[in-house]
Amino acid sequence: MTVYITSSGHFLPGPAVDNDEMETILGKVHGKPSRLKNKILSSNGIKQRHYAIDAAHNTLISNQAMAAEAARDCLQHSPFTPADIPLLSCATSQGDMVLPGFASLVQAELALPHAEINSAHGICSSSLMAVKYAWMAIQCGEHRRGLVVCSELVSRLFKAGRYEVLSDESVDFNAEFLRWMLSDGAGAILLENAPRGRCFRIDWIKSYSHADAYPTCMSVGQGRDATDSRTWQDYPQYADAEKAGALLLRQDVRLLENIVKMGVDGFLRLIRDGMTAPGDIDHVLCHFSSAYFKSRIFQLMSMAGVAIPESKWYTNLYERGNTGCASILIMLDEFMRTQSYQVGDRIICMVPESGRFNVAYMHLTVVENE
Amino acid sequence: MTQSLNPHAQQCLQNLMQIWFAFERDLNRVPIIRRLEMGQFDVNDYRALLLNLRQQVIEGSRWISRGASSFDRDYADVRSMVIGHAKEEHRDYEFLERDYQAVGGELAAIQSKSRNLGSEALHGYMMYRASQPNPIGLIGAMWIIEGLGQKMAESWAQRITELLAIENATTFMQYHGDNDDAHMDKLFSMLDRVCVSEEAAEDITMTAQVVARLYCLQLEHIDE
Repeated sequence: MTVYITSSGHFLPGPAVDNDEMETILGKVHGKPSRLKNKILSSNGIKQRHYAIDAAHNTLISNQAMAAEAARDCLQHSPFTPADIPLLSCATSQGDMVLPGFASLVQAELALPHAEINSAHGICSSSLMAVKYAWMAIQCGEHRRGLVVCSELVSRLFKAGRYEVLSDESVDFNAEFLRWMLSDGAGAILLENAPRGRCFRIDWIKSYSHADAYPTCMSVGQGRDATDSRTWQDYPQYADAEKAGALLLRQDVRLLENIVKMGVDGFLRLIRDGMTAPGDIDHVLCHFSSAYFKSRIFQLMSMAGVAIPESKWYTNLYERGNTGCASILIMLDEFMRTQSYQVGDRIICMVPESGRFNVAYMHLTVVENE
Repeated sequence: MTQSLNPHAQQCLQNLMQIWFAFERDLNRVPIIRRLEMGQFDVNDYRALLLNLRQQVIEGSRWISRGASSFDRDYADVRSMVIGHAKEEHRDYEFLERDYQAVGGELAAIQSKSRNLGSEALHGYMMYRASQPNPIGLIGAMWIIEGLGQKMAESWAQRITELLAIENATTFMQYHGDNDDAHMDKLFSMLDRVCVSEEAAEDITMTAQVVARLYCLQLEHIDE
């Protein structure tokens, strides 16, 4: 059974927030402006983003409600209502609740009757895990269609107060890095077992994880002191974990270059295995920040004859923000709606996740139902 | 890095990149490097690392020189490039000995240390390959060794300096970062020059894989 992406949708909360306004909303830690903000922003290249919290740190819309909004936007462009959706596959890096799974809560928001659900857990690449589940379920004939929804409400982790409770009062670079990188939003796609109008056929979805070979690079749940093996639930009180910085979102920037390497490694594997060829790709949608493209490894790719010209790359990360697992669907949605592509065009989506080095790829072909 | 490569060399470079990525993952699985990556590396580890690297480093210029002499007249240009390389590297073990002493090691101890099993296998393999006529596979070995030099200079030296709170004791590792680009440019020139068939590409990638495996074995034996 062949599977097609026949509709897409997104939801971005509130107005776009530019770089100057970010700190007004997230707050100044101990009343002082960040010294690292401009440096980090200039390296990630993001110009604007959206937040689901306001400057008083009220949550204006929940993560599950954003997911439901994106799902409704997606269904509006299809002939279906929620009652017609038998399968819901969702991803987020943190739901509104620790439990139950995110898909249960999104299902409730959407009022989907007796659907089968799946919650993919992880960071950015959980998006393609959620897509893969739905793709496989439809491919093996379990369902005729399914909805995939990925949503993030990460700004709650970046409120100034989160950093002000630290017992040592100093915010290290690794704990601040993602504060100026990530933001909120949701994306959704509809998968069907038949094409509908001009749509995207899913040719394959592949991922390669290297958690066995690398330390953790992006995390919540462990403190700043690498020699302290306790994770957040091992402290006597949750408050102790927070004071130790174990509830902050951290990026071990020393390890970041490895995700670029593993992204290239995965791409070379796909070429080696005959899954794709650089010359056959018409559009690249990649969840990468611009700084990486200056890395030496891309020069090596040119020399090795596997670089894809910059003109074929599409991203909306700089205008819509880096929204974790939602990014690739928000990107795909805007690409589908606003970019020009022809029947037969081949699209590769790439999601390299630094969490513990999982790289995921999806290959699509533009088709038209006659 | 501005050269263009012939199609065989391009295919070979794709394979070499994958071999390098796999090698980096394998290195991270070796106990002493795992401790370094996880931040549990101490001064005893550093001394043991230097102690076990020295014998292979000091022999390094020998296989390069031997390799150079194995290229016949048809490869005179390659021979010149390889000789230049041997000359640049042949005293680098002196940095290594100074670093060893800077972290409390005895010069006599590092000078008298015999090769560990991995070093023995690596050295033996390199001399064997270098002794074959026109040993173009050595480019695969150089790809791994150059890559290691860069990794030491860009990653390990700083990590060790931070973890051990030491200064001026990573000169050997840092030394290899100095001529990186020039070395890589030469390597790519050689690759384009000699990798002109599938057999040549196979020879180069096979050598790179064996050297990568034996280098890990050398590091594994530090904890044996």
